[in-house]
Amino acid sequence: VSNIVAILISTVVLGSIFGLVAIGMSLIYGTLRILDMSQGSMVMIGSFVAWGVLVLANSNAVFAIVAAFLVTFVMGTFTQLISVQPLMPRRGTIDFEMVTFITTFGVAIVFANLALQIFGPFQKNVPPLISGGVSIMGQDLSYQSILMAGTSIALIAALGLFLARTRWGLAIRAVAQNLDAARLMGVPVGRLYPLTMGLASALAGIAGVFLGAQFFASPTAGDLPLLEALIVVIFGGLGSLPGTLYAAYAIGFIQSTAIVTIGTTWTLPVLYGVILLVLIFRPYGLKGNPSEARL
Amino acid sequence: VNAVAARVGRLPRRSGAAWSGLVALIVVGAIVPLIFSNQYILTVMVTGLIILVLNTSWNFVLGIAGVWNFGMLAIYAIGGYSAGLIMLHTGIPAPIAVVLGGTASGIFSVLLAFPTLRLFGIYTSLLTFSFAQVVQFVIVNDPKGITGGTFGFPTVPGLYPHLGPLAQLRAYYWTVLAVVLVATFAVAKIRSSRLGIALQTIRDAPGYAAARGISPLKYRMLAFGISGFIAGVAGALYLCFNQSITSSVMGLTPMSIDVTMLVIGGLGTISGPLIGTAFLTFIQEALIDYPGIELTILGTILLLVVVFVPGGVAGLLSRALRRVSTWVAEDEGPPPGTAGSGSEPLEAV
Repeated sequence: VSNIVAILISTVVLGSIFGLVAIGMSLIYGTLRILDMSQGSMVMIGSFVAWGVLVLANSNAVFAIVAAFLVTFVMGTFTQLISVQPLMPRRGTIDFEMVTFITTFGVAIVFANLALQIFGPFQKNVPPLISGGVSIMGQDLSYQSILMAGTSIALIAALGLFLARTRWGLAIRAVAQNLDAARLMGVPVGRLYPLTMGLASALAGIAGVFLGAQFFASPTAGDLPLLEALIVVIFGGLGSLPGTLYAAYAIGFIQSTAIVTIGTTWTLPVLYGVILLVLIFRPYGLKGNPSEARL
Repeated sequence: VNAVAARVGRLPRRSGAAWSGLVALIVVGAIVPLIFSNQYILTVMVTGLIILVLNTSWNFVLGIAGVWNFGMLAIYAIGGYSAGLIMLHTGIPAPIAVVLGGTASGIFSVLLAFPTLRLFGIYTSLLTFSFAQVVQFVIVNDPKGITGGTFGFPTVPGLYPHLGPLAQLRAYYWTVLAVVLVATFAVAKIRSSRLGIALQTIRDAPGYAAARGISPLKYRMLAFGISGFIAGVAGALYLCFNQSITSSVMGLTPMSIDVTMLVIGGLGTISGPLIGTAFLTFIQEALIDYPGIELTILGTILLLVVVFVPGGVAGLLSRALRRVSTWVAEDEGPPPGTAGSGSEPLEAV
């Protein structure tokens, strides 16, 4: 019984944080049709911002989250402007997905190595955002994990409301559904793209604050979240936000089960095995729409 | 008959200068180890040439066949490890083990081709990347210890165990150079063959390819098999040259460097891998005193090239050459009988 409780708790916590990083990637893919490889660096930057605010400036957790949101929003917008926007006019003549995959990957390399230059290779310990915890049926659960899951779910819900109710949110969805029609309706696509990427990056940055507090901040801190988020978006189907959410919790469940039953070493290969099978039988993930593929 | 005559008439014209330049390049390449006896420089050059073999095969799959195969480094490592296992556990001579290592890689690569058939673009890259991660994991956590885990493969004697240090370096240099030449000419030949044209059609116009009855299964398996074999030979050469191999050869850092080489050189061109590999090897050596900054600079160059130099340096060169040749042609007037083909891009440079 204690194993089942442990798996369930861990599923909710992992699934929520996966969801927070992956939903940004899915949003970007849905709107811009690019797979943004720099999202991992945004997680890394977020965790360094948390370290800076909590350790260097000795401030509190709320400020850390707000600062991470703002910093990664700006970084995400900047990334879009240097690595994607210049390629937009050539969209029809080049393999846009592959070229932007490579440029955002290049940006990720630069960010990771700048962090290495500035902060050094050693991991920085980020203090917990809140201390203490409760025990649920014999399983310890820190308040920080609860905060992490709660904030992630709240942010995802807020993103959903933003997309469903606000003018900008509707504009993003319009662009995702039909670019030409959105342009004809007067949606400022040129401004919308950087904002979308900034928003997605900011979500990854907040995830970085929590992951940094849970583990530590280091230049490679974004690699594992990026791989996990990639697995989630592929599993759920690129561009489908509900699919991404289901997939986040499904992957969280698979990973928790693997951790509890066979140990941490084998979790990533198990996940990759699952993704291999999913792609063989459902080439567009759970909820992906085959018509989105170029043919 | 007219078309044939035009082709025959065109061939020497297009080849004349290009062929002599090529031969000069090969000769210079071949005598380099006689000029330099600095062992460090030679080691760097041999390593660069081995990477060039790998990049040639990756360029074939990624650039010419247009399949987003990001599992190439795993295929490369499989070649090295299989050749190593064959050398350690059987009496098979090293050169044959290298070929067998390449064959093993080719087989794995063909198997990898099956699940990618139903996928498009990004999904393919994820699947192949997952494959690479699983291979790396199995190598590192191998329960029986035959791969040496994180410590690397047990030492093997290599191809030339009886030569002195300098002679050994030269021997490796010429061996790898020969492999580079064979691989490059093979890829160049394939690109303009039926197979190459079929692959490029599947890449650019899948609907048209299907309508013409081109089987993606057959051609993609062939492409994966050929590129896997070349990459496996590269991995086996790496093992022989370093007398060992570790799973770090297939990490994210080597992958980003190799992709940068391909993109800077020009994806899908024949000279691209050479230009990119030479350029980046040079930059890496130039920045060797500033560890850590090298990847920042590589990333920046990658970004700048993709944004400002589409088609890479090879694309830039072929455009420049075309401009020069049209300029020359204008000066001399159109050459007799080849007016139509005079301004053709020198794509096969």
